[in-house]
Amino acid sequence: MGRLSNDEFFSKLIELFDQRKGKDHGSIVLTQKRLTYDQPPLPESTSETIFPDLHPPRPMPVLVRATNAKGKESRAEKIKLSTVVDAEALPAFFERYAEVCKLGMVTLKPRDRSKRKGKAKKKKGGAAATAAVGAS
Amino acid sequence: MPYYETSQEWLRQSTLLLEARPTTTRITTKYHISKPTSRSSRKSKAAAPDTTTPSAQHPPRGTLTLKTYDPHSGVVLKYKTTKAAEVSRLILSLGRLGRRMAGLPKESEADEAMADAPPASTTTAEGKTQAQGGSGGGAGGSGGGGGGKGKKKKGKK
Repeated sequence: MGRLSNDEFFSKLIELFDQRKGKDHGSIVLTQKRLTYDQPPLPESTSETIFPDLHPPRPMPVLVRATNAKGKESRAEKIKLSTVVDAEALPAFFERYAEVCKLGMVTLKPRDRSKRKGKAKKKKGGAAATAAVGAS
Repeated sequence: MPYYETSQEWLRQSTLLLEARPTTTRITTKYHISKPTSRSSRKSKAAAPDTTTPSAQHPPRGTLTLKTYDPHSGVVLKYKTTKAAEVSRLILSLGRLGRRMAGLPKESEADEAMADAPPASTTTAEGKTQAQGGSGGGAGGSGGGGGGKGKKKKGKK
């Protein structure tokens, strides 16, 4: 499958997460790496810069992939998504990515609010009491 | 193939690895939902047969595993969590690592994070990288490995 635009990638990724909602097993695998394929070649290594990839002359795009981790037995159900994020678009992309993942990963343990609530109530009660004292 | 205790440590080591090998290193994020264990579900059935469905009491549990892997040297760095509260922060740190992949200069935040990292640990990390590389120079690699091991033992004590 060809590469999707960032927007398409997100809408498909949300679908991918939605498919797993309500299921009791399965995985979603996300991968990111520097895109080097089909890019203008890096300068030759010289004695000063032995590894030209350490400091590329221009920022390189990042390849982001997502799959539902289906193996050989269920190849037909395998979904593979990929997109290329340009260096300038990285911050915006990852902010949205974080949002999508947060909403998609619903089976992770939610924050335990019971303790904090109890404390907050106590604090509130205390504050109210002091306020009441102050008012009177 | 260490699992790091804290995501900060994972991020720091991954940053170092990316710095050394920005072209070949990749980061895999696996969100896995595992079935509730048969023992616990049986238990819940036996204990409370007439209450709501056992699946409601034992919902499927998810884990989130971050793995930084460099096939060139064979280095694997992992971090695993089950907390939903961490997701957002972890993905944003993926973004920070993405900046390194792109070859962009450090963010000011990253700079500060790196500034208070002791330089000694940086060298041990490099040693580890070499040691796990295997194919790297024999003497240097083994020396690095020794250093890494020593550090680990100290940490455990």
